[in-house]
Amino acid sequence: MSKIVDRRIYEHPILRFERGKRIKILFEGKEIPAFESETIAAALYAAGVIQFNYSSKLMRPRGPFCMIGKCSQCMMKVDGVPHVRTCITPVRDGMTVEREAGHEIDLPEPKHPLTVERVDLNYDVVVVGAGPAGLKAALKASEAGAHVAVLDQSPVAGGQLSKQTHKFFGTKESYAGTRGVDIARMLVSMVKERENIDLFLRTQVIGYFKDTGVLTAYQSEGLGRYRVMTLKARSYVIATGAMERNLVFPGDDLPGVMGAGAAQTLMNIFGIKPADKPLIIGAGNVGVIVAYQAVQAGVDVQAVIDIAPKSAAYLVHSSKIRRMGIPILMRTTIKEAYGKGRVEGAVIYEVDKNFKPIPESEKNIEVDGIWLAVGLSPSVELLELMGASVKLVPELGGYVPLRTYFMETTIPSVFIAGDVSSIEEASTAMMEGVVAGVSAAEKAGLRNDELVRERAEALKWLDTFRSGPHYRRIKEGLTKVIIS
Amino acid sequence: MTGRKKLEGQKTLESGYITLEDLAKAGNIPPQEVLERKAVPIIDDIEEIPCTPCYDVCPTHAIIMPTMNDPPKVNWEACTGCTLCAQACPGLAITIVNMSFGKKVLKKDDLALVTIPYELLPIPKRGDKVRVYDRGHGFLCEGEVYSVIKSAKFGTVLINVLVPREVALQAKFIEVVRNA
Repeated sequence: MSKIVDRRIYEHPILRFERGKRIKILFEGKEIPAFESETIAAALYAAGVIQFNYSSKLMRPRGPFCMIGKCSQCMMKVDGVPHVRTCITPVRDGMTVEREAGHEIDLPEPKHPLTVERVDLNYDVVVVGAGPAGLKAALKASEAGAHVAVLDQSPVAGGQLSKQTHKFFGTKESYAGTRGVDIARMLVSMVKERENIDLFLRTQVIGYFKDTGVLTAYQSEGLGRYRVMTLKARSYVIATGAMERNLVFPGDDLPGVMGAGAAQTLMNIFGIKPADKPLIIGAGNVGVIVAYQAVQAGVDVQAVIDIAPKSAAYLVHSSKIRRMGIPILMRTTIKEAYGKGRVEGAVIYEVDKNFKPIPESEKNIEVDGIWLAVGLSPSVELLELMGASVKLVPELGGYVPLRTYFMETTIPSVFIAGDVSSIEEASTAMMEGVVAGVSAAEKAGLRNDELVRERAEALKWLDTFRSGPHYRRIKEGLTKVIIS
Repeated sequence: MTGRKKLEGQKTLESGYITLEDLAKAGNIPPQEVLERKAVPIIDDIEEIPCTPCYDVCPTHAIIMPTMNDPPKVNWEACTGCTLCAQACPGLAITIVNMSFGKKVLKKDDLALVTIPYELLPIPKRGDKVRVYDRGHGFLCEGEVYSVIKSAKFGTVLINVLVPREVALQAKFIEVVRNA
């Protein structure tokens, strides 16, 4: 194991990290300092540990990819329990953490006795996902008088909003000019203050009974302590967001290759430098915004590369990092990543207008991280499990649910909002949350004329927002999924 | 494979490299007569994106933006150079250029004051030397910090930097020179 370092950020121009009490965890017999507010993955990364497990056959070292509980690359054995998602499991003093190999099966020997409590809950509206869309939907449904539950598998509410250090674009209605992290704080505190909203964090939905319309979920209250819930609601809002896409190249499984959003989680939620000199692949808004946030975190981004001829980012975002000296290289992609047990370098090359490699254009660059910002795929798994019809619409990011104008899926009383419905912005996610929240409450028998007017405004806003050139494809895509 | 040297970005609009000519063509550079007379915003946004904070914050309605997707245009006569738009802009795309500041305030005819939004550390202080860069991180000159405005509302710090007049329109980014 490499020596223990401290990769935490203690001074940041925008963010203040409240870390809580200092504790220790045991990583393969070695004490690692951690803070109460951290997840296991964050604490390990802060200590310079980036190999979390090994592939099952070739024993290739692997590290976390998504950092939001969606991939399985961060799984480790914790307190004797195998396959624990360390990126969403909070640390506890004295916890033991070990690497595991792929499908290695051994019966858990939990240190703590297993306690499972069952609760059966009834709500008017259940919202799955506490990101911008889910939080907004919950707030609107509660304003209609609904008794609402919001579930999220993460220990932190706010979804991707909490990672955004930049002031938002858009208009007053979508909190433009306010930083994402501040919007998250505001929405989460509003949700917590509402007496008719229950927020369940560290809670994962695991099933749905089609005949009775009951969701099952479990809330983890520490390893071995689970609360299994059944939730029956008059209507549901599914706002499960999206998952970062991978890119296939030799060395793509090296620890240090991660989603750009994962790098954001480490930098901006936990205040940890994921790398010192990373390469970012993908010059869309996500790639260039993360590059900017990296500079704020004291990270020296080597370049942002993209195989497309033109950056898909807003010019204001891309020009912001250009003036800071971060190169953007279009028509450029990665050939391979290399390194012993972790990313140590990458070979990149240019392509011609037919996307064929240009001879002699190869460059070998020293990097210690590769962050992928090559798009997102809607997380529709739960909706598919529930029986919603989905359709492959590349303009919207992949398989997305069919929905009405009011965001109702093919299952009556099941609504959607945010990235699960189409990969867009946090601003549009919040507006869709308004539409879905008002509609879900209405479907639950709680119609409110003022809110119905607000919903009409939100729909109008979405239409105007999407009328610019950056959203032409989204608009086209939407015509393929809107049902009456 | 070639050797390991620092990568250079392409100098194209497609890769985020915007030039003064691009801005002039879009009408974002005021006439010389206006520049000589008053402080004005230079807005590095020439694209249709849904974004309105500068329009919303402007106290004299000097930003022209018929719909949320229209790029901002400035009514140079209505603008007072108050810097609120530079504080509010999420893209940090707005600098305020005051060409006659040196002449009017400091009796130094060759100096202009440029207001640059800044969200990095360390935050410089009055009198500090900073390295001033253009839109492609090309080094322009060393400048002196005249004052620092900390906006409580928007949290974006504005750095007022004194630079030679001839580079004022190009100045877009600063790096704090660490004390030796």
